Amino acid sequence: MKSTLRVFDPPLCCSTGVCGTTIDPDLVNFGAMLKALGARGVKVERFNLAQQPRAFAEDPAVKSWLAQEGPGVLPIIYVDGELWLKGRYPSSGECAAMMARLNPPEGVVAT
Amino acid sequence: MRRDDGPIESAGRGGGDVILPNYRPNPATTTRFLFFTGKGGVGKTSLSCATALVLAEAGRRVLLVSTDPASNLDEVLETKLSNHPTPIAGVAGLAVMNIDPVAAAAAYRERVIGPLRGALPEAALRSMAEQLSGSCTVEIAAFDEFSGLIGDPATTKEFDHVIFDTAPTGHTLRLMSLAKSWDQFLATNTSGTSCLGPLAGLEKQRAIYEATVATLADSAATTLVLVSRPQVAALREAQRTADELRALGVRNQCLIINGTFGTTCPADVTAQAMAQRGAAAVGAVSDFVASMPSYVVPLRPINILGLAGLRVLLEGPAESVDVVTGKESWVAPHLESLGALVATLAAQGPGVIMTMGKGGVGKTTVAAVVAVMLARQGHAVHLSTTDRAAHLVQTLDGKVDGLTLGRIDPVVETAAYRAEVMQAQSTALSEAGRAMLAEDLRSPCTEEIAVFRAFAREVGQGKDRFVVLDTAPTGHTLLLLDASASYQRELERQARTTQPEEVLRLLSRLSDPAYTRVLLVTLPEATPVHEAAALQQDLRRAHIEPMAWIINQSLLGSGTCDPLLQRREEAEHRYVSEVVEKHAARTAWLPWQPEPPVGPEALARLGATPLPVLSTQP
Repeated sequence: MKSTLRVFDPPLCCSTGVCGTTIDPDLVNFGAMLKALGARGVKVERFNLAQQPRAFAEDPAVKSWLAQEGPGVLPIIYVDGELWLKGRYPSSGECAAMMARLNPPEGVVAT
Repeated sequence: MRRDDGPIESAGRGGGDVILPNYRPNPATTTRFLFFTGKGGVGKTSLSCATALVLAEAGRRVLLVSTDPASNLDEVLETKLSNHPTPIAGVAGLAVMNIDPVAAAAAYRERVIGPLRGALPEAALRSMAEQLSGSCTVEIAAFDEFSGLIGDPATTKEFDHVIFDTAPTGHTLRLMSLAKSWDQFLATNTSGTSCLGPLAGLEKQRAIYEATVATLADSAATTLVLVSRPQVAALREAQRTADELRALGVRNQCLIINGTFGTTCPADVTAQAMAQRGAAAVGAVSDFVASMPSYVVPLRPINILGLAGLRVLLEGPAESVDVVTGKESWVAPHLESLGALVATLAAQGPGVIMTMGKGGVGKTTVAAVVAVMLARQGHAVHLSTTDRAAHLVQTLDGKVDGLTLGRIDPVVETAAYRAEVMQAQSTALSEAGRAMLAEDLRSPCTEEIAVFRAFAREVGQGKDRFVVLDTAPTGHTLLLLDASASYQRELERQARTTQPEEVLRLLSRLSDPAYTRVLLVTLPEATPVHEAAALQQDLRRAHIEPMAWIINQSLLGSGTCDPLLQRREEAEHRYVSEVVEKHAARTAWLPWQPEPPVGPEALARLGATPLPVLSTQP
């Protein structure tokens, strides 16, 4: 069955954060992993609070976390409807583990 | 009116006997799109307005668009403008709009955030607004509006001509090359969520961007009007712009040399110098002038304001206007020499000295004069310019003890920043991550960040010496300061900061009057004075109080006997008074010079000019 990743990003100018004042290597690697997964048929939905805010208002759980904990709760990442991570991006090790778990065909590994 | 022969024409008769016709737009041959470009202060606004007026009065339907963040179209047309076409009273067929990139970004921000009030918590909305205040949003929102007018025929279908009064050269180049770079960026970016950031759905308008690029390169549709002054530096700048834009595909170009001057007064040293230098400057670039259709607009005795002023610009004054009034008494207000101001700067000690003002008022010259004077008094001085035309500064290289030079070149800074980011991240990133980062680093936003960091770096040099900065023209300066404010907010928001210490301390340094001293440079004319006053207001909002104003290129006390120059000198009176009485804490004065002084001797001599002896009765 085809897997789905849903990502609710903090307000970012761009997907790598390169337009901001700091660059988070975990964010850049995570973006690269999503690209690789997408190319292998995994469904990737990515929402940026600065670009697609309506998605945040329409997801009851995300909206409620935002209300209780503020924007610091982002990113929120779901895999197949289950919460994977909240408040941070995965490390490169966690990315590799997730790649293995979703097991896309051919060894595309983002390490 | 008939052709201006005689003294006026002699202005174009330079070393190479260059004789050029007066500029007068021909409705029959004018293309649909016109872009006026040139160094700040050369008269783009006045000439684009006058062109629009001539075409409208010939029965054409004309839209005039300003893309300058510090637009003075309101003042020239005596009409309050907005970002929608506003009809101009008294001219059938003429509408004018002003694209202010900062306002466009604010409007976009409200379109995104407004509908979500109540749907998302306040903290999330604040965080969004913060992100949408950055340089990316400003760039993209401005480009989007600019592109809509060119690339989407439906938006301008009711007009025969669309005339762009563009921002100063650097900005113009960026705006125009943006159309290309975004387009290439869209074509090659495959990651989907990219730095195209704030304008969600930007990709949907790709057809419009493609049409924009194609229209700019279409000689039947678009004319680039290079506006310059009869000065060597200004003409060389126009030549560089012409070459650069031709390389970007904009090939249909023409040149207007604005403010040519010939005198009927052989005994008048000032007038003779002005006429000779102008003619020599045009002669020195005769190849460039001959390479495209070139025209002149003679110097006019009055400031170009209102519709009547615009008609005078292209047609010359009617006889009834051509009268020396000169009977009112004028009491000269208290002025200082630049030397007196420099003495105060020296006594205050090391820190940053910034010259600011509208483009073309002589910020680079004043910065160089101040730097040379301080260095010659034995102080350690670092002179840095953000201007693309930095030849004046280059002439000082190694010539003055204690004076070092710096330069903020956007191209160099951007390349260095890209390399630095890739280097710093290379070990932490996977190969795919590196590829993705490299792709995002190709975005135009990167230049803003790179230039900002360079500015912070130069400001940071002032701990143990004098750092003299010639900032970019007004509009860009505002964006720079705004960027610095939003970066400060961003840094406070983020827990992890890897920025240099200079960046973190920039804003507090800029607003510390003991560390940063701002000199507002102006010409004794309406628009430069009013723009400098507006800039002073903006600086005050950022808690920066200018130390002094400098009135540059003044004819006061020149003793000219040329009737045109006498009227211009007399016209200075009210603006000199206005600066001293309404705006400035201190006012220094510099005389008119035929060309910017080059080399340490000429700069020091200009700085040492004594105040003129001004009679209070004409």
